Amino acid sequence: MMIGALLIPFLPHIIRQIYMMALILLSAYALTLGFGIHSKIDVMDFEFIIFQSDSLTLPFAIIFHIAAILNVIYGAHEKYWNQHVAIMSYSGAAIAAVHAGDLFTLFIWWEATAFTSVFLILASKTQRSYKSAFRYILIQVGSGMFLLAGAILLMSETGSAEFKNFDINSLYGQLIFIAFGIKAAFPLLNGWLQDSYPEASEIGTVALSTFTTKLAIFCFAKSFAGTEILIIIGAIMTFYPIFFAVIENDLRRVLTYSLNNQLGFMIVAIGIGTELAINGAVAHAFAHILYKGLLFMGMGAVLYRIGTCKASELGGLFKFMPITAICTIIGAISISAFPLFSGFVAKSLIMSALGKEGLVFVYFMLLFASAGVLHHSGIKIPFFAFFAHESGIKTKEAPLNMIIAMIIASTLCILIGVFPSYFYEILPYQIQYQPYDFSHVVGQLQLLTFAAFAFICLWHFKIYPPELNSTVLNSDWIYRKMIPGVLLPLLILIHNINKKIEQLIGFMFMHIRKFFANTMIKNKVFDREVGQDTLIVVQLFIILLIFIFVWKIYL
Amino acid sequence: MKYLIEKFGKINTSVLFLCIIFLILELIGHRHGETSIEDILFFPAFFGYVSCIVIFKIGVSLRSFLMKDEDYYDK
Repeated sequence: MMIGALLIPFLPHIIRQIYMMALILLSAYALTLGFGIHSKIDVMDFEFIIFQSDSLTLPFAIIFHIAAILNVIYGAHEKYWNQHVAIMSYSGAAIAAVHAGDLFTLFIWWEATAFTSVFLILASKTQRSYKSAFRYILIQVGSGMFLLAGAILLMSETGSAEFKNFDINSLYGQLIFIAFGIKAAFPLLNGWLQDSYPEASEIGTVALSTFTTKLAIFCFAKSFAGTEILIIIGAIMTFYPIFFAVIENDLRRVLTYSLNNQLGFMIVAIGIGTELAINGAVAHAFAHILYKGLLFMGMGAVLYRIGTCKASELGGLFKFMPITAICTIIGAISISAFPLFSGFVAKSLIMSALGKEGLVFVYFMLLFASAGVLHHSGIKIPFFAFFAHESGIKTKEAPLNMIIAMIIASTLCILIGVFPSYFYEILPYQIQYQPYDFSHVVGQLQLLTFAAFAFICLWHFKIYPPELNSTVLNSDWIYRKMIPGVLLPLLILIHNINKKIEQLIGFMFMHIRKFFANTMIKNKVFDREVGQDTLIVVQLFIILLIFIFVWKIYL
Repeated sequence: MKYLIEKFGKINTSVLFLCIIFLILELIGHRHGETSIEDILFFPAFFGYVSCIVIFKIGVSLRSFLMKDEDYYDK
């Protein structure tokens, strides 16, 4: 797909769209080859495993291909080629990374996803997006450096760089863990996600929301399944972004907080590491790509038509964009995990796995987070964009291609929810699980409807404050404000001290020079005529002093 | 009923009715949770309602120190 993407600039618009579809289908054909190692390259005595597949790579590869197709359809209105090249190469790099059999191959595709996706942020062509893209690429490349360091250490210690299960207690394991953790937007490492994704173009954000973070989830599932610390990290991830999402005004940024929160569910499941939990993590990643993509598509359509995604400026768009609104609502219902929608059948696996392992505290954290998801993604997104107050904005429905992409994604969300058994068949482990029992359904419906009712009460009785144009501080504040705020004065201080020392030394030398200059005038000690002998005596005396000094120290 | 719809709106009233239906459903069938605490009558309903209020309250209280001007980073 990456090589094929090079041809895209030279093709006319319609042919380009068909060509991109053909590329994705050609790539998808490789999924029929079955499990095992299919392609290797020997370079300088090292065997790069380019293409290997197993039961874990298959669901990720399937959903990455589906997402790539949806991206092509969603972006079909864009006549200029640059974003199409970026999306095709980005999807190709992510799919290749999933199939990497060793860490060096993974590293190459890992960095390729960063270098290709940055163009989607640059495509916004705003000053903010340029700056954000720069920060994004620095952090993504930084993550790659951790991966490379881990791979080299692993290679030197074990003689192999096979991409497999790693020990978190080893140094290489920790370096690889940090590399994956940056891409999975761990707490305090998540700033890049909320910083860059909402700055990307309307097409770009849909693609970005699909690949990078889910690639990290795949890597964790492959290398760190059952690592207990992931349960704690994941639980924190599900918990804290909720509060940021509640106060955030930019609806695409709300979705990135929600994305962070959903990644937390997957990380918890990987941390548990049982077959049920890993299935839950993979199912959630699969379903999440669809409903999160759908929500980003809905907000992208609003951005495309109106030019803003700020809750404070939107409202009352339902009558102008009914199809976009309905599709966004389907995405919102899915992410909230209402029965008969994809989120429910995926999240139930994780919650059951937690219940089975007796992790009661984490279970309730995730249950709390589920109510939070309904609040910020399930209600806030469609409500503030399409209902709430009359914004006075008049617009028209999204372009046909966007509508088609949204309808396909919505249909998939419903199909997965209605026929979970077919969905469960592509998961890594074959297990018997029935999400639709009386207890699950009634419990979930009670939780969600009462959480929705609480929101209704808050809004109806005007307790809910109005959305304000603002910037919500996040962990990127550390490197955007705090470090420059501390480092810059520190650098200025060092510079000033340095300058003062230079002045002092200059002053001293000037006086020494003056002193010696004064001694060299006529009839003084270093007078050229009489001073020659004195100078020799002084030099001999100094040499003698040095000799005594050295002799005393060393002998 | 008419009074409720006038006062509360159509959608809000229907959500309220859905809430009541799901509570009644629990009384008809036997619901059990993944943990024993969840087995308490109407626990998910209570938990959902309280969680949403708590999230809102914490979110609003965070506004004072997390919310800055829109051009905060551009200054």
